[in-house]
Amino acid sequence: MHVTNVEPGTLGPCPVAPDALQGISRQQTNPARWNGPNWEEFCRAVRERGIEVRETVAARATFATDAGGTAYGLAHGVVIARSAGQVALLLQAAQQYRVPVTVCGGGLTTEGESVAFGGVLLDMTGMSRVLRIDAEALTVRTEAGIFWHSLAEELRRQDLDYLSAPLNLTSSVGGTLGVGGIDVNSARLGCSADQALALQVVTPTGEIVECSDTENAELFRRVILGYGQFGVITEATLRVRRYTPLRMHYFYYASLRTAIEDLQLLDRNDASDYSGILTIMDSAVNVLVAFDSNEREAAFMANWRPRLRGYGELGFGLRALGHYALRPWKLGEAWYLLQRKRELFPELQRAEYMRDGTMLERSVVFSRAVWKFWGSRQMVIPDLATSAPKFIEAVERGNAVCRRYFPHYTLYLVGIKLRPEHRAHYEMSCIPPDAEGWAYGCEFEPLLDDGVYSRDYLQSFKNEIYDIGVDMDASYYRFGGMMKGYIRRVFGDALVDRHLALKRAADPAMILNRHVIF
Amino acid sequence: MFGLANRTQQPEKDYASCSGCGLCLLVCPVWRRSRDFGLTPLGRARALQHGAVAADIAESIQSCTLCAACEPVCPEDIALVAMTLDLRRQLAPPAAVQNVPARMEDQAAPPLAPRSSAAAVLLPGQGLRARPGTLARAATLLGGAGNLALAEDDGSDIALALEAGATVPAQRLERFLRPLRGLKTIVAADGLLLRQLQQWLPGSKIASLGVALSSLSAVRRALGASDLYVIESRAYHADYQRLVKHYDTLRADRGCAFNLDLQRIAIPATARSLAQRLGLAEIDDQVQTRWILQGRNVTRIVVESMDDAAAFAQVSALPVVHLADLADDGTS
Repeated sequence: MHVTNVEPGTLGPCPVAPDALQGISRQQTNPARWNGPNWEEFCRAVRERGIEVRETVAARATFATDAGGTAYGLAHGVVIARSAGQVALLLQAAQQYRVPVTVCGGGLTTEGESVAFGGVLLDMTGMSRVLRIDAEALTVRTEAGIFWHSLAEELRRQDLDYLSAPLNLTSSVGGTLGVGGIDVNSARLGCSADQALALQVVTPTGEIVECSDTENAELFRRVILGYGQFGVITEATLRVRRYTPLRMHYFYYASLRTAIEDLQLLDRNDASDYSGILTIMDSAVNVLVAFDSNEREAAFMANWRPRLRGYGELGFGLRALGHYALRPWKLGEAWYLLQRKRELFPELQRAEYMRDGTMLERSVVFSRAVWKFWGSRQMVIPDLATSAPKFIEAVERGNAVCRRYFPHYTLYLVGIKLRPEHRAHYEMSCIPPDAEGWAYGCEFEPLLDDGVYSRDYLQSFKNEIYDIGVDMDASYYRFGGMMKGYIRRVFGDALVDRHLALKRAADPAMILNRHVIF
Repeated sequence: MFGLANRTQQPEKDYASCSGCGLCLLVCPVWRRSRDFGLTPLGRARALQHGAVAADIAESIQSCTLCAACEPVCPEDIALVAMTLDLRRQLAPPAAVQNVPARMEDQAAPPLAPRSSAAAVLLPGQGLRARPGTLARAATLLGGAGNLALAEDDGSDIALALEAGATVPAQRLERFLRPLRGLKTIVAADGLLLRQLQQWLPGSKIASLGVALSSLSAVRRALGASDLYVIESRAYHADYQRLVKHYDTLRADRGCAFNLDLQRIAIPATARSLAQRLGLAEIDDQVQTRWILQGRNVTRIVVESMDDAAAFAQVSALPVVHLADLADDGTS
């Protein structure tokens, strides 16, 4: 079979069945494996520089796939990052021998972005030390391979906490800063990447550079939300804050639209410290709000709670009882709702994570629940990110797609406060260009349970969600890897070509995370 | 005849069910020390899912400390300790334990002492036996000679064989278990043995030494808010759902700090690979003990395990006290 050589940075023709993917022009987005020219010479060179390259099946298999579980690749060798100097030497040699380097933090990508299709897999979690905590200035300097949760463990010993991080315990700091990161406080504090004050970056050609908004600002702008194209983040200085447990409240809605309207009302008025939506099913939508202090909670209860159209658990339960009593043919729905309440709700209130009615660790509670109830060897989570005015339509359209593909699914929705001074960071990222004040993101997560779905089926589902984004001039959080066919469609050739030119200038051999974006 | 130890409860889910979430990494002491995915449960599962066999990951299998911290956090409920022990059994046992089964075959079982009519028995393990004073106080606190028998055969050789992945001869296991059957309560100091006893003797109440002692009001009264209470991790994680409540109640009651992380998992103070347990490699517990102590403002360290006492004594000038020594050390 003839396989066309594809120049790095371009998309080649797709050699698989022409209608395997619905809704996108036929482009090869699953990368071809790099076949290993110069590998032996490269290994010799890096080993002479004191870098260990692991080539055993076991070492490489550990990184064969990511959290998505639909992209599989095998690196030629694995290098565990140990220092910025070591990473610099590795990248210099990779440029010289034109060996691709794929960077992996927590490996929680879902589209194969952290999977190496040949070349080197650089495991950044080897750089996981907290370097300095300044409790007075409220900053921390840390190696970037650290998991947010491990950082929290260290911060908590000084009664501190990070500002915002994905509700997933094994997201890495560096990986999150490279793509954005959302938390249930993002409507107030922005995306997780916004808390970065300065970075140490190893450029694709192996220079170690410190950058921030005031020092090497262009590099800082490119690396933050840069999907790993312009450098490897080896250290980060982050803003932190005093730790507070959460006072959490849940309100239940029968209408997704009403819930989103109320969520946006709360966000616009800074009515809560945390906010978001988790759907159980189309007619059971949960708005969660939480507070860092009694004062904020009391102000919410006095000023905003009366304006919300959601019910408490008891009220919603009674309403649902009446609803299903009159519609016995929907008892299956009622049973599912009941099961969910019995299994999931206690998990969100486990006694060991609560004290005096407050939730001690939101990321522990939600991350454990996410993996327990939504996790499996495959995770498909297409998303849409839009401006506030477009959000309801985008979510309703996406929800309709979910309904056609899967019996059960969950939507996770949050607002993201935008920082005008960071607009340059947001270019070609998950932040849609037309968003003002807040962007809104929605993840569409089917519950795969024990169902067996083909990759084409899952891909078709994702394409239908992403087509909505193209249609509405929106953006996506996960547009890399297998979804990179959408990058030009949604951002346009001019912008993408400009970034590609920047990439070629920064990374002449196109070795760093070469399959993620271009 | 040689396979009884292998007929322990088999995991309902094994490495094939691992979804790769990585929650096990966060609590893994080997991960903390090495920052090497390959040496963790996740690394082992991923390697096995993609074609590796036990021999390919032998270093990882032998480096596991069997602290069991990974089990309660696993959202797939994979029996990770059983999985690791099963993998160890697929490897050739280290030379240091190769003749252990033969020795166990020959070993005669001493009778229970002081009398077999006691309703409860204490299996003290080697660490506690080396401290006769502490052992005597523990026995007295737990009921005294009339109510508690001190087992001379405490299964230390069986615990070693389990740890090493060596097969326990059925005859030896039967000699060990026979006097324990029918007892209401068995208190075991060895966390790994305790886990196995729960499976071998499902009708008995099996308690760790730490839980048994910390349930006594004389011991609880002696705990204070400036104490760091170090839970022995193997026993705690073997019965996590129940014991997390036990220690939460103790915290609320006495205000002491614990070696618990943000997931309420016990950070093991001694995290030793198989080679270290067998004395074939140098023991270095300092990464763990320093991490447990980092940023804490405590005046005393209270331990459930004698191994933990020795580990803390190496890195801290704070007094280190075994639970059994608490009640009469002048603080009660």
